[in-house]
Amino acid sequence: SHSIPVRSSETEDLRVDGRGCEDYRCVEVETDVVSNTSGSARVKLGHTDILVGVKAEMGTPKLEKPNEGYLEFFVDCSANATPEFEGRGGDDLGTEIANTLYRIFNNKSSIDLKSLCISPREHCWVLYVDVLLLECGGNLFDAISIAVKAALFNTRIPRVRVLEDEEGSKDIELSDDPYDCIRLSVENVPCIVTLCKIGYRHVVDATLQEEACSLASLLVSVTSKGVVTCMRKVGKGSLDPESIFEMMETGKRVGKVLHTSLQSVLHKEESLGPKRQKVGFLG
Amino acid sequence: MPGDHRRIRGPEESQPPQLYAADEGEAPAARDPTRLRPVYARAGLLSQAKGSAYLEAGGTKVLCAVSGPRQVEGGERGGGPAGAGGEAPAALRGRLLCDFRRAPFAGRRRRAPPGGGEERELALALQEALEPAVRLGRYPRAQLEVSALLLEDGGSALAAALTAAALALADAGVEMYDLVVGCGLSRAPEPAPTWLLDPTRLEEERAAAGLTVALMPVLNQVAGLLGSGEGGPTESWAEAVRLGLEGCQRLYPVLQQCLVRAARRRGAAAPP
Repeated sequence: SHSIPVRSSETEDLRVDGRGCEDYRCVEVETDVVSNTSGSARVKLGHTDILVGVKAEMGTPKLEKPNEGYLEFFVDCSANATPEFEGRGGDDLGTEIANTLYRIFNNKSSIDLKSLCISPREHCWVLYVDVLLLECGGNLFDAISIAVKAALFNTRIPRVRVLEDEEGSKDIELSDDPYDCIRLSVENVPCIVTLCKIGYRHVVDATLQEEACSLASLLVSVTSKGVVTCMRKVGKGSLDPESIFEMMETGKRVGKVLHTSLQSVLHKEESLGPKRQKVGFLG
Repeated sequence: MPGDHRRIRGPEESQPPQLYAADEGEAPAARDPTRLRPVYARAGLLSQAKGSAYLEAGGTKVLCAVSGPRQVEGGERGGGPAGAGGEAPAALRGRLLCDFRRAPFAGRRRRAPPGGGEERELALALQEALEPAVRLGRYPRAQLEVSALLLEDGGSALAAALTAAALALADAGVEMYDLVVGCGLSRAPEPAPTWLLDPTRLEEERAAAGLTVALMPVLNQVAGLLGSGEGGPTESWAEAVRLGLEGCQRLYPVLQQCLVRAARRRGAAAPP
């Protein structure tokens, strides 16, 4: 049972730019924009512009998890994004976003890490996910999680084989065919939905002005099946327990819709094949 | 050291022997999911800090100190509408700087400080949970420094640090709207995925998901929330949050008593 929130005349599900409380701005996603990476994606959400590059490199598995590969996140808040990021200003925000990304992927089901193992205890694939914040227009976490999911979908990891000769020394052989790669399943990769509390209502996908009005937000990371993998309260203010429950439900609802539209866009883009027109940075 | 032939050089990397031990199969004992471990709290124990608190819950030991308010150059901070109750305008409000540190011997493996990303994340979580409770508007252009030191990690370390930090702030005489009480939870792995209140370190290590909630008990407002893992559907997380908030309410009287005792001690020690 949900209680009907109190409505005042100005906040009746109508925001400054005409959207409803649960509507996203127009999202543009494009994958395979950077050629030196194993996978890349660019996402434009209103004025927020994110570029993610994934590089797959061979490394040693962690001691506690010898049969798995792992992901490493790095977020760079470029000084072009907003003037506050000049010099070292963007480092704190970058660390915060990277820590949140580690948290949302910190469970067994998001990404199949066992498929990244080459030979247990010796070699594994390490995916370095590098996020670049090109322009900051509000709602960074959502845009970054969409871009990370699209980049992982686009990632192509070359197939390697470990050959052992008679003396027991091992050799790594890379497949000759450049198109012979393994793809990752991004079905369970979660997306972040940030819900900002403004007055008595909460809004999804806040612009910079809306974020300035909001004292507290709830960040929920949802998978396409509605499973929540991370929850975090952000901001200087406090939240009512009932609002938290409402915001979680909204987050789950909105997250599921976001996932279905993202999956369909990614599959459609891939089906266009190598002949599709790339927009890149000039569009 | 170059050219030092007398010392036997050990390996560059070292690991604890437990990593190579066969899995003990030590399952945590079954227990009432809503039990809270007995808590020992004491405020006002450090002579050099403005306010301090020590909290012990089970095997978790946290020491927290508060210093300030210290004058800070604000930079270009404009005016703006003044807040209610004679508070400074938003741009001139005070700042809360939190620091979370783990002692190297706190966990199972030795972790040399600086701990890197995890300590920064927990420090940010501390700051976000304490800010709603502190009346920063009463300390314009000033900075309050809160530093939490985890001496031993016996489970629910962040929750204990939050509670100790709030006690230390109250002990320092910082104006607050309410105390902040923290509570940790963890979800046992399949089969029988129940949420356990105030987990021990063993339960936390085997958990599928973990959650820390911070509540302001009198105002009944959630000041902080941080959780991750395979918690399942939203109903499960909602149940966990409710359980955590209940745990925080139960902990509140202990903390009130601790502050009263500290105030009495300070009053008795003051020269007549």
